[in-house]
Amino acid sequence: MHIFLLLGLVLCSILAVFFSDLLKAAISLAGASVFLALVLFEMGATYAGVFEISVVAGLITVLFIATISLTEKKEDAKHNKRMRLLFPLVFIGFILIDVLVMSQYLVKLSSLAGPAETGVFGQVFWGGRTFDLVAQIAIILAGVFCVLALFRKRSGDE
Amino acid sequence: MSDFWTVNIFFVGLLFLIGLYCLLAMKSLIKLLIGLELLAKGIMLALIATGFEKNTILTAQSLAISFIVVEVSVLATAMAMIINMYRHTKSLDIKNLTNLKG
Repeated sequence: MHIFLLLGLVLCSILAVFFSDLLKAAISLAGASVFLALVLFEMGATYAGVFEISVVAGLITVLFIATISLTEKKEDAKHNKRMRLLFPLVFIGFILIDVLVMSQYLVKLSSLAGPAETGVFGQVFWGGRTFDLVAQIAIILAGVFCVLALFRKRSGDE
Repeated sequence: MSDFWTVNIFFVGLLFLIGLYCLLAMKSLIKLLIGLELLAKGIMLALIATGFEKNTILTAQSLAISFIVVEVSVLATAMAMIINMYRHTKSLDIKNLTNLKG
């Protein structure tokens, strides 16, 4: 089951790259997010899965579709056909190298011993990672100010 | 490390390849953002798979949530920049962004 979800994730990712229609590409990306969220649920990361499915598959897809609808022109951005034909070769070559590296090297890496975690998610998130939360608030504010600055009306605008 | 972790990292490698290919080969600004998103998905999978392997899934989830917040903020800013660039150049093609070319 896990392998099929990961295969679905990779397939949706490839579709997102190769659809020439940007709207279809954005929806494929949302599909990839849903597959990733299911993988996270399967590994027991329920909170991360919920965030992935609501924020990434929901909010970011809406942002993508809004941007596409504000900007799209049909004849825009011709892609290089040679690069498109090269992708399957690169992909197959990379899979071979990836399998070799995984089977020869990564599988033999010894795992460093560490204590297993105890407690619940709330304790770790609100208690152990408080500084992360402060940084997150700062990043959200920075994003909001950036968007406001980019969309402000200039004095010369009609 | 277990086989389960290795399989996950194998797919992380594939996601990175697809994302990097998208960043290098595509000329549409929105496609570049899609490539960035795919790299982010690879990072997320690596974080959670390693947390699962090391039995520290709670910390891994906290980091993943922080990462999602950063991702959304970066994407919102990038999309605002794309809309502004489109208003100036009337195109999404990166080849047309040559105002600073010497």
